[in-house]
Amino acid sequence: MTYNRVILTMTGLALAAALLLNFITFQPNRIAPGQEISLLTAAGLPATLLLMALLGLMAALSWRPSRDRYLTLLLLTTLTLIGLPLAVASYAHQHLPADMPYARVGLGSGFWCMGVFLALLVVETSQRLAQQYRLVGMQWLVTAATVIGLWLLGHSGALDRLSLLQEYSQRQAKFAAELQTHLLLAGAAVLIALLCGIVLAIAAQASVRLRQPLFQLLNLLQTIPSLALFGLLMVPLSYLAAHSPLLQALNVRGIGWAPALIALVGYSLLPITRNTFVALQEVPAQVLDAARGMGMAPMQIFLAVRLPLALPVIIEGIRITLIQAIGLTSVAALIGAGGLGTFIFQGLGQAAMDLVLLGAIPTIVLALLADVLLGLLTRLCHREPTP
Amino acid sequence: MTTASTRQWPVALLLSLTLLLLVTLSLPHWHGLFHWLQPDSKQVIYNRDGFFTLLGSHLLLVLSSGLAASLTGIGLGLWVTRDSGRDFLPLVSTLASVGQTFPPVAVLALAVPALGFGFKPAFFSLLLYGLLPVVRNTIAGIQGIAPAVQEAAQAMGMTPWQQLWQVELPMAASVIMAGVRTSLIINVATATIGSTIGARTLGDPIIAGLINFNLAYVVQGALLVGLLAISLDSLFDYLGRRLYSAAEGH
Repeated sequence: MTYNRVILTMTGLALAAALLLNFITFQPNRIAPGQEISLLTAAGLPATLLLMALLGLMAALSWRPSRDRYLTLLLLTTLTLIGLPLAVASYAHQHLPADMPYARVGLGSGFWCMGVFLALLVVETSQRLAQQYRLVGMQWLVTAATVIGLWLLGHSGALDRLSLLQEYSQRQAKFAAELQTHLLLAGAAVLIALLCGIVLAIAAQASVRLRQPLFQLLNLLQTIPSLALFGLLMVPLSYLAAHSPLLQALNVRGIGWAPALIALVGYSLLPITRNTFVALQEVPAQVLDAARGMGMAPMQIFLAVRLPLALPVIIEGIRITLIQAIGLTSVAALIGAGGLGTFIFQGLGQAAMDLVLLGAIPTIVLALLADVLLGLLTRLCHREPTP
Repeated sequence: MTTASTRQWPVALLLSLTLLLLVTLSLPHWHGLFHWLQPDSKQVIYNRDGFFTLLGSHLLLVLSSGLAASLTGIGLGLWVTRDSGRDFLPLVSTLASVGQTFPPVAVLALAVPALGFGFKPAFFSLLLYGLLPVVRNTIAGIQGIAPAVQEAAQAMGMTPWQQLWQVELPMAASVIMAGVRTSLIINVATATIGSTIGARTLGDPIIAGLINFNLAYVVQGALLVGLLAISLDSLFDYLGRRLYSAAEGH
C-alpha cells in the first residue's frame, strides 16, 4: 500500500465540510435564528488558505505511511482540534458588537462535521499505529490532550464568547445538579439491577423450569419503548401515591424519580441477568469438581471460585447496562425525573439549540466514559492468572 | 421435526397483531375507563390526530428509515469485506461498535440544529442510528463464514458475484437479519421520542399528556406503541425461525 486511502478520504471530507457547510452562526440572542456564515466569510482568505494548507499537509502524510508520519498526523490533528474552537472564539471576540450583550457566535454544521472527520482520522491513525507499529493507545493520548487543552482554554476565558459556553455559564449550578441526578439515577438503577440480576441468574441456574419464562419476561420488558414504559408506570404510581401517606412523604408520585427508577431497573435486568447467567454457566465443571474435592463448602465455592471466574463477563454485562441506563435516563427527563435530558427537552421546547447541545454532548461523553472505563476493568480482570 | 415447527401457527405474532388492530380501532370508545383515570378533565380521548393516522406515520417513519438503514448498512458491510473496501474495515467496525454507545436521544437531539424540526431530522437520525447494528452484524456474518467454504466456492469456479449471492449472503443471512431486528426495535422506541422534535408519531399523545397532565393521553400512546413494538418483535422472531429452519435445510 503506497498510501492510506482512509486518511486521504477523511482529510478530503473534512476540507469539504469546512468549505461547503456553514462554519459558524451569528445570533443576536439565544433564541433568534442564526445567520449562517461560511468559513471564507468569517476567517477571510489568508486564514482559509492556511487551514487548506494544513489539511493538504495531512493528506500528503498519508503517502507511504510510516510510524513518524502517523505520529506527525496525530500531532497536527490534535493542534487543529484545539485550535479551531480558539479561532472561532477569537473571531467572536473581535466581531461581536459591544452594544449587543446577548449576541453570540455558535459553531455551525461545517465545524461539527469537520470535527467528526478529524476524530475518525485519529481513530484510523491510532489503529494503524497499534496494528503495524505496536504503539497502543494513541487515541487516548490525543483525546486527553484535546480535552485538557480545551479545558485550559475554557478556564482561561478564551472561549467565553462561544454560545455553548455562554449557555453553560448561565446555569453552572443547575448543570452540576442535573449531572448529579443523572449519575445517581443511572447508577442506582444499575446497582439495584445488579443485586436482583445476580439472584435471578442463580435462580435460573438452579431451576430449568424458571429459566425460559424468566428470560421471556425480561425480553418482553426490553422490547417496550422507554417512553411507553415510563408512561404506563405513572398510572399505578399515581394511584398508590394518592392512597398512601408514606409514599407521599417519600415524594413518590406518578411523575418524578419513582417511575424513572423502576423502569430503568426493569430495562437493566435483562442484560445483567443474561450475562451473569452465561458467565456462571461457563465456569468449567472440572474446576468446580476440583474445588469440591478440596473440601470447599458450597458458599465458599461460589464466592472463591465461581464468582471470580465469571467476573469478566459479569462486568461486560454491567458495561452494556450502564451505557443503556445513561441513555434512558435522558428520556426520563420527560416525566420530570431530572438529569441531563432536562436541558435537551427544554432546549427543544424553546428552540434554543445551544441548550440542546449542553444536554446532548455530556450525555454522549458519559456513555463513552462508561464504555471505556468498564472495558478497561474487563480487560484487567481477564489478565489475572486463570488456573 | 423442522417442518412441523415451521408449519406451526405464529401464535405470539397473530395475537399481538390482532390486539394492536383491535386496540387502535376501539380506543376512541373507551370513554369510561379513561374518565376513571382522568376524572377531572373533559377531554379524555386524544383527538388531535386519529390513532390510525399516528400508527401509520409512526410505522412509515420506522420502516422507511429502517429500509434505508438496512440497504445502506448491508451495502457498507459488504463493501468493507471486499478487496475494494477492505482498507476501511477497521474504521467502520470500530465506528459501528462505538456508535452504539451514543444514546439514541442524543442523536435525535443533535439532528435538530442541523436539519430543523419535523420528519426529516427524525428520519435521518433513525437512519444513522439504525445503520450501526446492521453494519456490525453484516461484517460479523460475513467474517463468520469459514475460510474453507469461501475457498471451495472459489475452487468451483464461482465468480465473486456468484460467491456473494449464492454463498456469502445466504450463510450470513440470519446474523444480518438479527441486526435488522435490533435496529428496528430500537427505532420504534426512538421514533416515539421523535415527537419532541416534531415528527408525528405515537409519542404525540404521550408528550401531549405529559405537558397537559392528562394521564389518559399518556396511557393511550403508551399502550399502542408498546403493542406495536411487541408485534414487530414477534414478527422478527417468526421470520428468524423460518430463516433458521430454511438454512437447516427443508
